[in-house]
Amino acid sequence: MNPQTTKSTTTIDATDTSAVIQVRDLHKAFGDNQVLNGFNFDLKRGENVVVLGKSGSGKSVLIKCIIGLMQVDKGMINVLGNEVPKLNTTDLDKMRAKVGFLFQSNALYDSMTVHENLEFPLRRHWIKTSKEEVNDLVMEVLTNVGLPHTVDMMPSELSGGMRKRIALARTLILKPDIILYDEPTTGLDPITGKEISNLMVDIQKKYNTSSVIISHDLNCVKIVANRVVMLIDGICYATGTYEELEKSTDKKVKQFFE
Amino acid sequence: MIKNIFIEIGLISRFTGRFFREAFKPRFEFSEFLRQCYYIGNKSLPLVAITAFIMGLVITIQSRPTLVEFGAQAWLPKMVSVSLVREIAPVITALICAGKIGSGIGAELGSMKVTEQIDAMDVSGTNPYKFLVVTRVMSTTLMIPILAILADAVSLYGGYLGANIRGVVSWDLYWNQVFDTLVFGDVVPSIIKTFFFGFAIGIIGCYKGFNSNKGTEGVGQSANSAVVVSSLLVFIIDLLAVQITDILNLN
Repeated sequence: MNPQTTKSTTTIDATDTSAVIQVRDLHKAFGDNQVLNGFNFDLKRGENVVVLGKSGSGKSVLIKCIIGLMQVDKGMINVLGNEVPKLNTTDLDKMRAKVGFLFQSNALYDSMTVHENLEFPLRRHWIKTSKEEVNDLVMEVLTNVGLPHTVDMMPSELSGGMRKRIALARTLILKPDIILYDEPTTGLDPITGKEISNLMVDIQKKYNTSSVIISHDLNCVKIVANRVVMLIDGICYATGTYEELEKSTDKKVKQFFE
Repeated sequence: MIKNIFIEIGLISRFTGRFFREAFKPRFEFSEFLRQCYYIGNKSLPLVAITAFIMGLVITIQSRPTLVEFGAQAWLPKMVSVSLVREIAPVITALICAGKIGSGIGAELGSMKVTEQIDAMDVSGTNPYKFLVVTRVMSTTLMIPILAILADAVSLYGGYLGANIRGVVSWDLYWNQVFDTLVFGDVVPSIIKTFFFGFAIGIIGCYKGFNSNKGTEGVGQSANSAVVVSSLLVFIIDLLAVQITDILNLN
């Protein structure tokens, strides 16, 4: 397969309802370091897309721009019909309620129990539910990630894999349409990494989510990816299924699969 | 060096300006504010009380010989009460809180920053500035004056015990002398300045923590510089307060 570079264009097809995320001509620099240099990308509904690239290539920056944690220098990001760079705080919060974000470091609140961690987004997004409903929702997501017994534990009492599952449960509790995963298997042993990858696939089926997964763990990519996007030199250098890219003869693509 | 100091002052001023913009707009994080009040007030009380008691005792014991030399030992409760209430108890309380609370806030927010918990809060539909900074600054602004008033009472009790180690002063006589001596000009300005002490300790702790970087090393630096800067600010505010009370003829 040949590398497929996309054209720089800032237009977004608003009629394309199958795309839940559209990124056009995205530029982001830190000082002289141009991390994203005209990146284009679409995420279709129900799709798991892995963004593959070297460390420091701007993968995490990309999803932080998508969720509005970082400001873009140039370009357009459309998430579920919302143009993220133009959203005010209230609309950004509404959009974020539909988009889950799994942090690389899990970002569980140290001072809260697992239950409080899971309850937090529900309370914050003004989802007014009774105490019983909150408890039921918490237990439901904990059961879905296989850790119902940890409900009263503190994050410091959990192993790395368990923390990742709890972080995923916290993401799932709002039943998001899209989940952004920032290196979900980094720091985990291969067996736990595989368990987390399989869990991500289960979650996609069960919750009917679309996902962008940032990773350079090929075992994870193989399990979860419907499509792989290669972020090289700040652009979408190549895209295709795992098998297609694995067979690529392009030097820059090939080095990832060797 | 001087340029960096001015840049830092500018950044702290901007951070403080944001506090006033955010603090009076809904949504109000009332339960987190109460939690912080409990943590800052209740948990700091034993340390503040012990320190204030010792200061009251020591100041009384050390002042006595000089007053005895001039035959003015009957003035001991008067002198001790003015120095404790006007200066020693509020400043000691503020310094203890700068060490305990300022470093705690700096380290807590710093570690939340480097472990992406602040970003996670943002993603969860929470304004982290409102939830973390406004609640903490309001709590320190409210609780440090309360702690200072308690420190006044405990240090005066320490003074009573100190006065009775070498001499005999009855409970009633001591407190009558204390309350006869103290006037509004002694008490009110000293309480007012503790609100500013509390605000300074909270805002500096939050600023340092919120702007922490460089991983765990940065967390340590945040905690450390929160204590140093807020302690320095306590003395600067105290200096300004004494100038203002002097202008108003309250000294």
